[in-house]
Amino acid sequence: MRGTTRTVAVAGISAAALLLAGCGGGGDEGGSTDSGAAAKTGGAITVRGCNPENPLIAGNTSETCGGNVLDVITAKLVKYNVDTAAPENDIAESIETSDNQNFTVKLKKDYKFHDGTVVKAKNFVDAWNYTAYGPNAQLGSYFFEPIEGYADLQSEDPDGDGPQKAPTPKAKELTGLKVVDDTTFTIKTTEKVSNLPVRLGYTAFSPQPDAFFADPKAFGDKPIAAGPYKVDSWTKNAEIKLSKFADYSGARKGNLDNITFKIYQDSNAAYADVQANQLDVTDEVPASAQIDDKYKTDLPDRNLQKPVGVIQTITTAPAKVDPNYGPEIRKAISMAINREAIIKAIFNGTREPATGWVSPVVDGYKADVCGEFCKYDPAKAKEQLAKAGGFKGGKITLSYNADASHKEWTEATCNSIKQALGVDCVATPVVDFSTFRTLIHDRKMKGMFRTGWQMDYPSIENFLAPLYGTGASSNDGDFSDPAFDAKLKEAAAATDAAASNKLYQEAEGIIAKDMATIPLWYSTTTMGWSDKVTNVKVTPFGVPDYAGISLK
Amino acid sequence: MTDSLAVSVQPTAGEDVGEARSLAQDAWRSLRKNKIFWISVTLITAFVLMAVWPSLFTRTDPTFGDINNVRDTPSGAHIFGTDGQGYDIFARTIYGARASIIVGILTSLTTLIVGGVVGIVAGFYGGWIDAVVSRITDIFFAIPLLLGGILFMASFPNNPQSTPYLVIVGKVVLTLTIFGWPSIARLMRSSVLQVKPNEYVLAARALGASPLRIIRSHILPNALAPAIVVSTINLGGFIVAEATLSFLGIGLTPPAISWGVAISDALVAVRTYPHILLFPSLFLSLAVLAFILLGDAVRDAFDPKSR
Repeated sequence: MRGTTRTVAVAGISAAALLLAGCGGGGDEGGSTDSGAAAKTGGAITVRGCNPENPLIAGNTSETCGGNVLDVITAKLVKYNVDTAAPENDIAESIETSDNQNFTVKLKKDYKFHDGTVVKAKNFVDAWNYTAYGPNAQLGSYFFEPIEGYADLQSEDPDGDGPQKAPTPKAKELTGLKVVDDTTFTIKTTEKVSNLPVRLGYTAFSPQPDAFFADPKAFGDKPIAAGPYKVDSWTKNAEIKLSKFADYSGARKGNLDNITFKIYQDSNAAYADVQANQLDVTDEVPASAQIDDKYKTDLPDRNLQKPVGVIQTITTAPAKVDPNYGPEIRKAISMAINREAIIKAIFNGTREPATGWVSPVVDGYKADVCGEFCKYDPAKAKEQLAKAGGFKGGKITLSYNADASHKEWTEATCNSIKQALGVDCVATPVVDFSTFRTLIHDRKMKGMFRTGWQMDYPSIENFLAPLYGTGASSNDGDFSDPAFDAKLKEAAAATDAAASNKLYQEAEGIIAKDMATIPLWYSTTTMGWSDKVTNVKVTPFGVPDYAGISLK
Repeated sequence: MTDSLAVSVQPTAGEDVGEARSLAQDAWRSLRKNKIFWISVTLITAFVLMAVWPSLFTRTDPTFGDINNVRDTPSGAHIFGTDGQGYDIFARTIYGARASIIVGILTSLTTLIVGGVVGIVAGFYGGWIDAVVSRITDIFFAIPLLLGGILFMASFPNNPQSTPYLVIVGKVVLTLTIFGWPSIARLMRSSVLQVKPNEYVLAARALGASPLRIIRSHILPNALAPAIVVSTINLGGFIVAEATLSFLGIGLTPPAISWGVAISDALVAVRTYPHILLFPSLFLSLAVLAFILLGDAVRDAFDPKSR
């Protein structure tokens, strides 16, 4: 396999050289698809992949290993601009609404799935009904919550994981989805939603071909979608081979003929292979190469770093679980965390200190909502702690899941708190992510714990409603403020995007008053690539834009 | 060596005339002249001092992380530099000795006791007891020390918030003991089998001494030497096993400071700041070397054939 890659690369390089000699300085317009298209299409590359957790089904993938592959093989109603994350119509001809509650979606006529069938309105509606239907247990199900009739598709298991089976839900189809004709369908939401079109670009909203419903299990090994690339083969634990879909109807066709995801267990190995030109793109630069920006000398001009829609926060246990972490105490702890120094020492500058609860990559971001409480000031922190009556719980604990690299920063954060407040702070590992989340979900976790949020779609709303709304799905600290909830509702009803964003910003101001969680930092993603490829870009979701990559 | 031989065959020469010397006294005489013995004893004394009284060597708090001062190269303020958390590496390395020394010495003692008792019982009583005990020993012998250790430690993880230091260390000792005793037991059994047919044992038995008395005053003193020697050599091996488990994140866990944990934490910066890895590794190697050299010297001293 290595041999093939190499020969193709040589062919690609000589072709590029010929073309450059022919047309002079055409190399600058690397981003656009027309310039130098002849030289830049074709060829094959290998990129870093990891083992997908589940079969490759768009509605059932919530992690990046499968998500990265799905991202390049699926087409949705909407796609996000690689540079700005702004939504653009893809399969949709138009998405129209007059009241933020009833939407009419018109599809482009010529879109085809990889198996040659045409993408019709019913492919969307059936796929969404399948994903939303509780007994199918699809991980993307919660995306359909706003659509009318969602509650009737769910049923509660009476004894959790016990032997009893959950009763069959009342309905099998969302009442809010109606097929009008082959290219038109309507969506009705339960409440007003100001940003539904923005959400529709997420993978869970992909259409599924008729072949999917015949045998969803087998489908997951060789999925059929409507994106610029199709899956040729998936060798478990080794590689996933993609090739260009000839009949792709979208505007942004892929440049390369073949993309192979080589599955790595360890980002260090992938990085070493990129250094040796054995692998073309890695979307993860290991910590060892980030110290002192080592990757910049390892891969000169072949690396990039870009902020992505991820925020890391510290959440404190709800007051009824652990009463020692009230709003005023949270403010004191927040001021005791030396964000800049920790980012520099532990993350080598690959994070951005948080000044609010919303990632800067989304539309509607407002800087410095948190104000002085997110700035390191040990003297003020101590004063604030004394004002709040001191810490009564003995030791502050900061729990993290030990199966990912959180030990270093939690330890450093605890050291910072300990030194500023004079209260002992212990970073406490929990064996793995699922145990960690179960403890939090069951409200058994005491003290503080780490929380992170990766946006589902680029909107300010996604950083507020699911995290701090009363009873919201990811409201781990049981934050509740009627004023905040009212503001969210008001913002969702606003038909003007700017007005809506402004209301969301006001809502963010409300959670700042009570320090709902302690914002830490915004993430960036770092990538490296071999000297054979060019035009490597990363989306605001932190995923490489595979379709845009081309050989030199 | 030749001198002592000459001394013992010429009863008229030297001041030791007529004095009967035990094996231990003989061994001590030969050890005294062994340079390697003194080197290892000096090193071990230093490490034991670090373990018992770390503040003798450093006044820096090993748990104080200076976040503005991470990955410092060795300097006047931090003679070994600082690590990725801003901890002083010298202080961490000194305090790390305690875990390794405790684990090494305790595990050697417990394996010697467990293996010794099992070996004596099997060798002295023989018959079906021997058959049963030896087969059990074989079963444990078949489980690799490290694999067994990983399985055991992973099944009973520590809770760093509530598990006290001694329990964390004790668990490692227990694990290594469970999988480390069979070699001592086998050695002890064969050594007892060698001593048992001797005339003085038969005589004691003929005089009606109880089995316990025979074991205590005749078998044990004459069969113990090889087990002690092997235990001393094993000690270094146990320190390595502890560091390996800690390196894998399942042996000693923070807040316990250990060389294995330090080595594991230092790996990330090995390309950029190798000194963070160097010092704990150096101390670990020296400690292991010291115990293995000691074991070697003791073996030479106890082995009459080399004299």
